[in-house]
Amino acid sequence: MTFPTTIGRRVAALVLTAATLATAACSSSASAGGGSGTAPVYFGVSSATTGQYAQYGQQFKQAFDLAVEQVNAEGGINGRPVALKYEDSQSDPKQSVTVAQKFVSDKDVILAFGDYSSAASIPASPIYTSGKLVQYGFNNSNPAFTEKGSEYQWSTAITTTANYRWTADYIKSQGVTSVGVSYLNTADWGIPAFQAFKAEAEKVGLTITDAEGVLDTSDDYRPSLTKAVAGKPEAFVHIGYGPDAAKLVTQLRAIGYQGTFYGGQDEKSFDGTPDAAGSIIAAQFVETSTDPAVKAFVDAFKQKYPAEQHVTLFEATAYDALHVAVAAAKQGGTTREGILKGFREVKDVPSVVYGAVSFDPATRRVQDPKLTPTILKDGKWVEYKKA
Amino acid sequence: MVDTLIAGLLRGNVYALGAVGISLVFGVMNVINFAQFSFFGLGAMLAWFFVAQLGLSFGIALPLVIVICAGLGLLINLIVVRPLAQFLPLAAMLSTYAVSQILDNASQIAFTAQFRVFPQVLPTSNLHLGTMRFGTSDLVMLAVTAVVMVAISAFLKYGKVGQAIRATAQDQEAALQMGIPVGLVQHVAFVIASALGGLAGVFIALYVGVANPTSGLNTGMTAFVAATLGGLGSLLGAVVGGFALGILEAFGIHFFGDSAREIITFAILIVVLIVRPGGLLGKVPLISTEPLTGTFLGKGRPLQLPRWVWPAALVVGGLVIPLVAGDYVLTTGTQVLIYAIIAAGFTVTAGQAGVMALGQAGPIAIGAYASALLTLHTPVSFWVAVPLAGLVAAIISSILASPVWGVKGHYISIATLGVGTVIVAVIRLAVPQGIYGIPMPSWGGTPLATPRAYYLIDFAVLVLTLLVMWRIRRSHLGKVISSVGADDVAALASGVRVRDYKALAFAVSAFFAGVGGSLLAHQYTYIDPTIFTMLMSLLVVTIVIMGGVSLPYGAVVGAIVLIGAMELLRFTPELRIIVYGLVLILVVRFRPGGILVRNS
Repeated sequence: MTFPTTIGRRVAALVLTAATLATAACSSSASAGGGSGTAPVYFGVSSATTGQYAQYGQQFKQAFDLAVEQVNAEGGINGRPVALKYEDSQSDPKQSVTVAQKFVSDKDVILAFGDYSSAASIPASPIYTSGKLVQYGFNNSNPAFTEKGSEYQWSTAITTTANYRWTADYIKSQGVTSVGVSYLNTADWGIPAFQAFKAEAEKVGLTITDAEGVLDTSDDYRPSLTKAVAGKPEAFVHIGYGPDAAKLVTQLRAIGYQGTFYGGQDEKSFDGTPDAAGSIIAAQFVETSTDPAVKAFVDAFKQKYPAEQHVTLFEATAYDALHVAVAAAKQGGTTREGILKGFREVKDVPSVVYGAVSFDPATRRVQDPKLTPTILKDGKWVEYKKA
Repeated sequence: MVDTLIAGLLRGNVYALGAVGISLVFGVMNVINFAQFSFFGLGAMLAWFFVAQLGLSFGIALPLVIVICAGLGLLINLIVVRPLAQFLPLAAMLSTYAVSQILDNASQIAFTAQFRVFPQVLPTSNLHLGTMRFGTSDLVMLAVTAVVMVAISAFLKYGKVGQAIRATAQDQEAALQMGIPVGLVQHVAFVIASALGGLAGVFIALYVGVANPTSGLNTGMTAFVAATLGGLGSLLGAVVGGFALGILEAFGIHFFGDSAREIITFAILIVVLIVRPGGLLGKVPLISTEPLTGTFLGKGRPLQLPRWVWPAALVVGGLVIPLVAGDYVLTTGTQVLIYAIIAAGFTVTAGQAGVMALGQAGPIAIGAYASALLTLHTPVSFWVAVPLAGLVAAIISSILASPVWGVKGHYISIATLGVGTVIVAVIRLAVPQGIYGIPMPSWGGTPLATPRAYYLIDFAVLVLTLLVMWRIRRSHLGKVISSVGADDVAALASGVRVRDYKALAFAVSAFFAGVGGSLLAHQYTYIDPTIFTMLMSLLVVTIVIMGGVSLPYGAVVGAIVLIGAMELLRFTPELRIIVYGLVLILVVRFRPGGILVRNS
């Protein structure tokens, strides 16, 4: 090869390297300031807009956008509009930490929402903490997110512990004495949830005939299910998400099991699965509720997104989260310290999920989150009252 | 037992359909086609769209899906795969991975990322045998598989084009000399494979009941294992492998639980490969060098970097960046450095020893866990834990991978992928909870947890890594390892214990993977098994290929490009992965030997 070409390629390689770093450097030198007046108040959102968890990122975004629109129509935060900065983390820790650093470095951002999974949120937590930026993991039901976190980690998600303790108690109260169980064998969610369920079941005398750990990446649960129902339990409990529960309940019915299915999630694929009808879960949010606040939210959502037939807990929690953050900023001020103070002080923020949100300052979680038994009927979750 | 057997037959049916396409493309093109996985997801989503959204009947939707997938397959082969496959199967493999990223995300944009209920076009549980219920839909699927298999076999046996496909699969050179239009034959094979992928995708969705654009990956991986199990390139093997895997998995899950599924899948694969190195029905590869890299080494020579580059890089990386850059760049830089360490260490295996091991997430995970557990439960400090973690990763991975060094050809890559996956799956069983509060590095009681401190620590480790790599390459040992990679028959004839040196090279790579894992763990302060995915393994391989497979410093460039690109593309969040895929294809297309490798 000729000499100039070699040089050219060598230079090209170096330029590419330098350009990568330089562009990254530029994008980080965020403009500081924007303190008051009518400049927007910025919240960051770290979530998955692409990749395998994108479904949830998209649901969050719809609800966030609706809430921002409403807040700004009502005058924003003391006259300043609210705006969001979205960053796609793919819910991958490699990217959620860089996103966290990006938000921490961006002085305009006074709070960051996210991430979707605890495996992406918790590795980002030390960065938020050292940057003194509130990390509002509104979807992080893993108790460790706040327990092992610092004063900068807050969450309005009900913990898996509270949720599945309630579930065990409720099933027992329905006169059921034995259950077969399947649970997602994931460290950040399924296993802590199952352990809470198991401990409570032992306490109240609910027999677990067999418990099978399953993976949400599996498609075929039949071999596990035949084993889980071999002991003829009166009911079946699945501790997992919507898509896996949809596959699982179909296969559970396919192997001929008729008992009540306590499981699933208010999520499109589960709601639309024919065999899922009659499933019972503990709900924080019921789309069909007659509560005026819920009705107003559901109507506004469907008006903004006519293509969406359902409003689920995912949209509701994101919608609530934005309102809680706004309330905290109004209470404590539109700075990083201010909003942290606000989180400590806010009381009874109106919520479509809980009615009203107040935080327990010790746990940085919602005080007394209420759960409602709901049953899936005609593709919709309705409050369940035993006849 | 009967119900487990039926469950196994049904899942085996789906694997078999998936495996045939993978095996077909491999047979005629010598390329492992990751894009096939995307056709599963795409087929399912297209069928959902036609039936549930447009209200077409299933009888019309199914042929439509097949035609669309076939057309897309032709396009992909024309533009991306074939131009590369002709001279570099490794680059072609990488490009099929890029294509799969693009397909998945385009489909996600078109259909949204939601999981969708797949319409029940046929009854799924109207029949039963013992306690096991199944449906007309299952019978139809079995029947269609049978018909498709018979048709394809007849086509291959009696059809003119089919015979040409077989000839090409047997010996491309000879086929060409006999006047067979190899290019055309490869197109036909790719088109058939893509159409089969779409069909399999529809069946998977029918069987499972839900689908989303990325749902092909998991079944795809298992179908890939099934194809390997049967013997890559053998169609009958793919069918046998599919059913065998389905049935064995079903019984395995019955006895050990679904959590052990990956362990079962790959344990079956590894055992079969050790007993029959060419799969159940495949031929044992004649060329004993790893075709992925063995043929690859001669394809290019590294660019000669002038001496001033090294001090300049040291000054820029070690002084200018930490002084000038903001925290965001430093944090991104830290991720780049950690992956550069892992990838640079991996060049001994991939480049010198000529083995493209695919499961690097395994040793990375061992390093991360070893370091986390050591610093949390013993008085060992961060500084001691990092090298110890590397050592533990090297020892455990070498022991676990030791049986696979006798396996040959592509099979060794897949076997190492299996080892890596099994390691992570075992960790999940052993330490199911995540590990919290992993201590950050500190020196004399002062915590070193700022982005700058992490960056500098990792930069120092990278410099050490590169020095070690340089020493190894220049040493007698390094030359011996390189001889194994260049021609292991010649090496064997010269009295070199090829197997042992491959294992040694792998141990060195696993050491640096472990070090990288440890650094990650102390930065995240939290780890759980979901972090160490197959995508992580693929990222390491991608970085190494991008930089130049046998250049440790090339790995640094690869890491800057591949991790930096993901950050640079933040300006277009929706299209990020698609653009990433395109960039990957372009780089591979124009620098197939790696960025720092001159094509000869």
